Amino acid sequence: MKRQTIRLKDISKSSEQMVELNPADFMRLPYPYDTVDSEPAFKQLTEEQKKKYEVSVDGVVALSLPRPETKAEEDELVRKFLSGLGKLLTKENNWTFLQPLSLTLEYCAKCQTCNDACPIYTGSGKQEIYRPTYRSEILRMIYNKYLKRGGKALAKFTGNDIDLNWTTVARLAELAYRCTLCRRCAQTCPMGVDNGLVTHELRKLFSQEMGIAPIELHSSGSMKHLKDGSSTGLIPVALKDTVEFLEDDIKDRTGLDIKFPMDKEGADILLIHNAGEFLAWPENPMAFAIIFEAAGLNWTLSSQSIGYDAVNYGLWYDDVQLARVALKHAQIAKELGVKKIVIGECGHAHKAISVIADRVITGELNIPRESCMTLLEDIVLNGKLNLDPKRNDFPVTLHDPCNLVRLMGVVKPQRNILNKICPQFREMEPHGVKNYCCGGGSGFAIMPSMNFPDWRSSVSGRMKFKQILDAFQDVIDPNIRKMVCAPCSNCKGGIREILSYYDAWEKTGIAYTGLVEFIVNAMVDIGEPYIEWPDEM
Amino acid sequence: MLLQLLSYVAFMVFLVVVLAKVVKYARMPLHLRWELYPIPHEKGREYGGSYFEELDWWKKPVEKSLIGEIKFMIPEILFVRGVYHDNRKLWYASFPFHFGIYLVIGWLALLFVGALVNIAGLPSVNPITTFIQSLAVIFGAVGFVVGSIGCLGLLMLRTFDRNLRHFAAPKDYFNLLFILAIFLTGLLSWTSSDPSFEVSRDYMKSLIAFSPMTGASPSLTAHIALLSLFIMYLPFTQMTHFVAKYFTWHTVRWDDERNMRGSAIEARVGKVLNYKQNWSAPHIKSGDSWATIATEEVE
Repeated sequence: MKRQTIRLKDISKSSEQMVELNPADFMRLPYPYDTVDSEPAFKQLTEEQKKKYEVSVDGVVALSLPRPETKAEEDELVRKFLSGLGKLLTKENNWTFLQPLSLTLEYCAKCQTCNDACPIYTGSGKQEIYRPTYRSEILRMIYNKYLKRGGKALAKFTGNDIDLNWTTVARLAELAYRCTLCRRCAQTCPMGVDNGLVTHELRKLFSQEMGIAPIELHSSGSMKHLKDGSSTGLIPVALKDTVEFLEDDIKDRTGLDIKFPMDKEGADILLIHNAGEFLAWPENPMAFAIIFEAAGLNWTLSSQSIGYDAVNYGLWYDDVQLARVALKHAQIAKELGVKKIVIGECGHAHKAISVIADRVITGELNIPRESCMTLLEDIVLNGKLNLDPKRNDFPVTLHDPCNLVRLMGVVKPQRNILNKICPQFREMEPHGVKNYCCGGGSGFAIMPSMNFPDWRSSVSGRMKFKQILDAFQDVIDPNIRKMVCAPCSNCKGGIREILSYYDAWEKTGIAYTGLVEFIVNAMVDIGEPYIEWPDEM
Repeated sequence: MLLQLLSYVAFMVFLVVVLAKVVKYARMPLHLRWELYPIPHEKGREYGGSYFEELDWWKKPVEKSLIGEIKFMIPEILFVRGVYHDNRKLWYASFPFHFGIYLVIGWLALLFVGALVNIAGLPSVNPITTFIQSLAVIFGAVGFVVGSIGCLGLLMLRTFDRNLRHFAAPKDYFNLLFILAIFLTGLLSWTSSDPSFEVSRDYMKSLIAFSPMTGASPSLTAHIALLSLFIMYLPFTQMTHFVAKYFTWHTVRWDDERNMRGSAIEARVGKVLNYKQNWSAPHIKSGDSWATIATEEVE
């Protein structure tokens, strides 16, 4: 069936749904998912959900945005949207991104070069509404028509003849969560325009002006982080219990007596993990402890509220929340008197505190921040551990977290480590700064609302799944165990969901883990293999 | 003199508005870092690496490679390299279009130099004058032809390629037709009335010397008038991306300047943190400075 053509102006026109997603249209996957019937059924919303929430983009819900009950409510929300857009273009309210945003709004040539770089647009089978230029162009049209002098008079000639109504605003809000902020589009733009930034700024507008953000990012995310200590809900007392449990687990699994150093003043290193690791993948902080102790490092964890959770969800949707969390991290490091902060395997935490917050943190709070990748590379490559690569003698590929690689330039250390300790390491294509997002970026990995997880695994994660399958095509037999190394908590979450959605372990023998697990697995002083495969858990 | 007046006004408007744009972007406050790798001034890290790959990177000296940036910029500016790699179909039109424009700019520069040499008193038949004028003929003629081809190609793509057509506005066609008219009138005046571009050079001379000029054919007059109007119109459009591209690359994509204690960057951060914001969401206290809202305890 021929797909209906969607035009820019269609965003303002009331309809039940702009597009109907059909997995048969999606980009084809390699063997053994190369037939349409190998595609899991896409969960549909219930009638009640459709009535209650704004679902008119693609029948998928990320935001759980309630429908306004009256026209007056709608008008007020539209007014607020326009007021927020105006604020994005003032230095007092948006010094943080005023220059990049102004350039991006003014200079898109509409050449569409960026579209093919987008894994969501291509993965979806080129759905019009997922073009990086679609939501961006809508925002430009609104800006040009409603905020620029003479905008309305010239709207037809300049191509900005769009109606700003609640339907437009609601759809833009949802569309702001159909992009993972991977910024592959920006990488290819011949003007240097950044349509990924438009997504970021739209999210900020909704959050900072209208108080609209996914519950998982805001009230159960950054607010919980700031109030309770961690977005996972892990409070300081519970952290101490968890750490004790991990110490016992290390003893059981390796025979090693390791105590996690907590709140050690004057340590060289404050290590901050994504707290999700303590709960979902405890083998990861355990492996860090084993490695750091074996390498003789002077390190500590913090048990202070916020100090043990490296995440910074504000990076994805709200500059104020970003600054609040980053400053708390810096303050805790200063109070401990550490020489540097080392960020665990969490891509967005890396970028938030190393790159973005570099222009928020000043004076004594400006304590150096370092990636765990460089530190681990130093340990592995300089012989500080006794490692036997044969213990990792199975096919391994590496996922490049966007925040760590394309957006921060940490490319080689992790591959140097894998090349040293994994004899069957192979790259995905493309990789490095040209990598594809795991599909869980920008908060998607922690957003389980309604049918959003299905969309995430089958659309935003599709290109990543294809890359993984391609990398292992020569060993795709499920009896050959193979592992994806994903050195980032969110990416691990995204990849875990994809593999589960497609029953990939059963059908292809593909599993996933972080980077440090491979290092400990190769340590000759550890008796049993450290990496656990899904059929051994 | 009406034609000359138009050219003077066009030139002045161009200068003032373009300069105002440069100042506007240059005076915008320091923004958060938002770089994108690879950054070509990262010495020895062409694969896209950064100084963050170094252990204790803050103890290491900053090594920036200007050559790396130049090696990126020259093919990008001259040959539209990014489009060549990422959108080949568009490049077949975009490259001749841009290269045609560069050649026409070169043609104007050569006419300007030729006019100066002429004013300085060198005879018309002289090796230097002949060389400059011959070069002007090559730049002008090739520029008009290549530019017209590129322009037609872009018009075709905007009209027939559905990816481009759905996003195209009347002004996009207007701009391309405007530029095409300039190329074509230039071509017509060269082939029909000014094969050696000496009349064109004389017009340039009249502009420099503030002297009257006669003898321009209708096609040359049309060409000059259109070109002048375009020069006046251009700064108000997104075709000033030659200004924007400096900022999008140098102050956004490649801006990896470290904020070290006591640095100029740190002083600028201190300034912007004192801006008073007025966001309206419940979790932000409107009217407080960024420094205050970022450090207050949330309730």
